[in-house]
Amino acid sequence: MKKLLSATALLLASASLAGAEGVLNLYNWGNYTSPELLKKFEEETGIKVTVTDYDSNDTALAKVAAGGSGFDLVVPSANYVPIFVEKGLIRELDLTRLANHGNIAPEWVDVPWDKGRKFTIPWQWGSTGIAVNTSVYKGDPNTSAVFLQVPDELKGKINVVPEMNDIVNLAIMFVGGEPCTEDTEVLKKARDALLAAKPDWLSMDYGATEKMSNNDWAASVNWNGSSMRIRLANPDVVFGFPREGYPLFMDSVALLSDAKNVEEAYKFLDFIMIPENAAMISSFARYANGIAGSEAFMPEDMKTAPEVVVPEEFRAAGRFLPTCSPKATEYVTAIWTELQK
Amino acid sequence: MAERAFSATRLPGFATVAIVVFLALYAPIITLVVFSFNDANSVAVWGGLSWRWYQVAWENTLVKEAAVRSLIIATSAALIATTVATMAALGTTRRAAFRGQTAIYVIINQPLMVPEIVTAVALLIFFAWIKVATGYQGLGYLIAAHSAFCIPFAYLPIRARLEGMDLSLETAAADLYATPWQAFRRVTLPLLAPGIIAGAMLAFVISLDDVVITEFVKSGGQDTLPTYMLGQIRRAVTPDVNAISTALLALTVILLTAFFLLTRKRD
Repeated sequence: MKKLLSATALLLASASLAGAEGVLNLYNWGNYTSPELLKKFEEETGIKVTVTDYDSNDTALAKVAAGGSGFDLVVPSANYVPIFVEKGLIRELDLTRLANHGNIAPEWVDVPWDKGRKFTIPWQWGSTGIAVNTSVYKGDPNTSAVFLQVPDELKGKINVVPEMNDIVNLAIMFVGGEPCTEDTEVLKKARDALLAAKPDWLSMDYGATEKMSNNDWAASVNWNGSSMRIRLANPDVVFGFPREGYPLFMDSVALLSDAKNVEEAYKFLDFIMIPENAAMISSFARYANGIAGSEAFMPEDMKTAPEVVVPEEFRAAGRFLPTCSPKATEYVTAIWTELQK
Repeated sequence: MAERAFSATRLPGFATVAIVVFLALYAPIITLVVFSFNDANSVAVWGGLSWRWYQVAWENTLVKEAAVRSLIIATSAALIATTVATMAALGTTRRAAFRGQTAIYVIINQPLMVPEIVTAVALLIFFAWIKVATGYQGLGYLIAAHSAFCIPFAYLPIRARLEGMDLSLETAAADLYATPWQAFRRVTLPLLAPGIIAGAMLAFVISLDDVVITEFVKSGGQDTLPTYMLGQIRRAVTPDVNAISTALLALTVILLTAFFLLTRKRD
């Protein structure tokens, strides 16, 4: 009992010392941070990084917005960065303190949510496409028609992930519209396409990594990192990039306005822009990172992975979903609600 | 011949319903336990028997730290909640009914009725003020929050036990010149012990399980086992999560068995 109490006291005391020199508090998605990366950073700088997990952008935003969170760095998704900026929760970076800022790949510098990368540093990015088992369906996987006009071979065997923005915007782009459109003609076509296709779907569920590895599903709308894991377990599976347009996502690191360990945070941000270190991030979570030259340091199975290295012909079709207007969001939500019935 | 007393076990289809219910309750848990011994990198494709995920989980310092943290929080919260709950139960039952008694029950049991997410957001905002004002970021917040929502779980079994205890025993002790303290120490407390143990166990398990409030209250580096597991599941589930779950399950079963054996002897 006494032992327990003293252990508790010790823990309480040590935790309150955080904020002293040589520590950094990173608030990141769960299972997203390479332990080897943190170990290397500690060996080089003596700074100990503590990682705390979150499971949604909303949780992260709520905790940071409440104040006194005690975190230094946070990793929001692209469409959440403007909200963090607008609320003054993250600070503009002093680029003179980031010698490696030039390592950011040119296509990831002037991104829609952060022109010139003044607030955020790339962490990882990926795409939403369609994983298809070629032993069941031999046709072209690079089109949203695979789930919107389901071919006979895949009827009753295809899954669609229950992600509202991804699915509705895939349908909008399939019928020739722009993500977040307010054009009711286009929205009606997208809605009709989704409702007509739904009877041919097996399910609307997560877990494609497992269900496609063991052949429960023959196809699924899915993310590229997960699709790569499926292919490693089940070589018949390929990942298709819908040529009509597909959503991209990116999570980027930002420095909180109330960060206590600013010096350490800058060192960390500069550290992860070195290609060799960025490659460690990717080889852990299996998504690309946005730092030029990092591919050379990735494991062999990732360097050539068609899911990670997007083939040239499909690159232009990838689109970041903007933060939609309230009206557009209302339309998307209405379509989604009808689809769920 | 007299009518036999009514018994649910003789209703038609009783066995079928029972089997279906037990399957629904335990089949997912059995699957989880079985796949924790899987040799493959998957929670759905079987690849042979192995301990490797237990080894992976054991070698993961994050898991170990989260486990120790969970146990420290659960033990502290159970101790505090049970002490408070015992005092509250004594205060509300070992005396004549008084005005406002119902209001007090409601206040004590408030965490059972208010949705957890509401408490979580309220605590997030409230603790944020304190964090900004004092700069203290330690485990104290989690222990305080857990103690608070564990109180009704400790309170209910203790109160139930007290209500079943005859007040005349204490009156008899007083008649025999026992001081109020002696009567409490020698009569009330020993009789109450099973209730207190049950309350403490319940509080411990409730604290160990908590996700929502912990997720909102935790500061940097304060992931508990459940919030750590939640974070893992978003990316890709690997069988080490099954291994941790199975270990937690084993711990719970051991605790409950110990509790059962202890109380059986007592009665």
